[in-house]
Amino acid sequence: MFIFSLKQPLFARFQTTLPDTAALAREIWTASVLLDKLGLYTTEVYQKSRDEIILRQHHEMLELSTPVVTLFEGVLALPLIGMLDSARTEIVMENLLRRIVETGSSIAILDITGVPTVDTLVAQHLLKTVAAARLMGADCIISGIRPQIAQTIVHLGVDLSTVTTKATLADAFSTALRRRGLTVTKNPASPTSAQPPATV
Amino acid sequence: MERIPILKMGDCLLVSIQVDMHDRLAMQLQDDLTAQIAATGARGVLIDISALEMVDSFIGRMLGHIAAMSRVLDAETVVVGMRPAVAITLVELGMSLSGVRTALNIEKGMELLAASMGAAGVGIHGAPVG
Repeated sequence: MFIFSLKQPLFARFQTTLPDTAALAREIWTASVLLDKLGLYTTEVYQKSRDEIILRQHHEMLELSTPVVTLFEGVLALPLIGMLDSARTEIVMENLLRRIVETGSSIAILDITGVPTVDTLVAQHLLKTVAAARLMGADCIISGIRPQIAQTIVHLGVDLSTVTTKATLADAFSTALRRRGLTVTKNPASPTSAQPPATV
Repeated sequence: MERIPILKMGDCLLVSIQVDMHDRLAMQLQDDLTAQIAATGARGVLIDISALEMVDSFIGRMLGHIAAMSRVLDAETVVVGMRPAVAITLVELGMSLSGVRTALNIEKGMELLAASMGAAGVGIHGAPVG
């Protein structure tokens, strides 16, 4: 607070220019009130701008953290990163449902590899998303469940039996392809081919 | 009094809800649909709610009831074309309609019905879908 460091030189100046004690005390009081108000104002402005920055970054984070990607024709993936709270779940749900309509997808994979902890609330949010997607006619697969998280889910007594769950995104993807009647085969013509084509 | 039309297509009944549902209309639909299923011996019911913009718990429950009634009358129900906002509303209301089958659009709904009826040994002959 640089404002308050003004006090010392200002008071020293008063002492040299004002010989009368009563006048000195009066002037010092006036100056103190002014400086205090100034200090308060500065703090308020500082806090306001800081809050604005935090809010903006929060919005940006929400937008960045909820991508919906198309893995294959009719298969969507939703890599979830970070904590899932109510506000984020809502955005995730809206994005997912919008993309389901846009792409006409029938399978959505919710990947929770990047979700650090799963408590009952997060599980409830996941189940809500799954239920909403089901109402739109899309099946959901939850993937990326780490061993610790699997233990937590069971200890918490969360019932995920209504949802297909897979350990990794790869497992979930192959399940999704199988459900759509697709298989991935190696192309014999190009044995070094890095990306084997999917055949119907 | 307005009514929601029920169209027959092969072994299926097609219900397209194009107006905002109010409670009386919903009850009327329940009556009409059950009567139609009994009269035609339909094996499948397709309810298109793509034009439905607002739902409340009553309409949600009604959809569940229609599905349950149809099942009693030996007809599969598929609800198609639910809007994202409607889906979110229903989930927030705590109604996940677990007894109702859903599909994204009419085409997929017909495929679903054809598949389940095909499994039961009955097909929708001449229907121009999958």
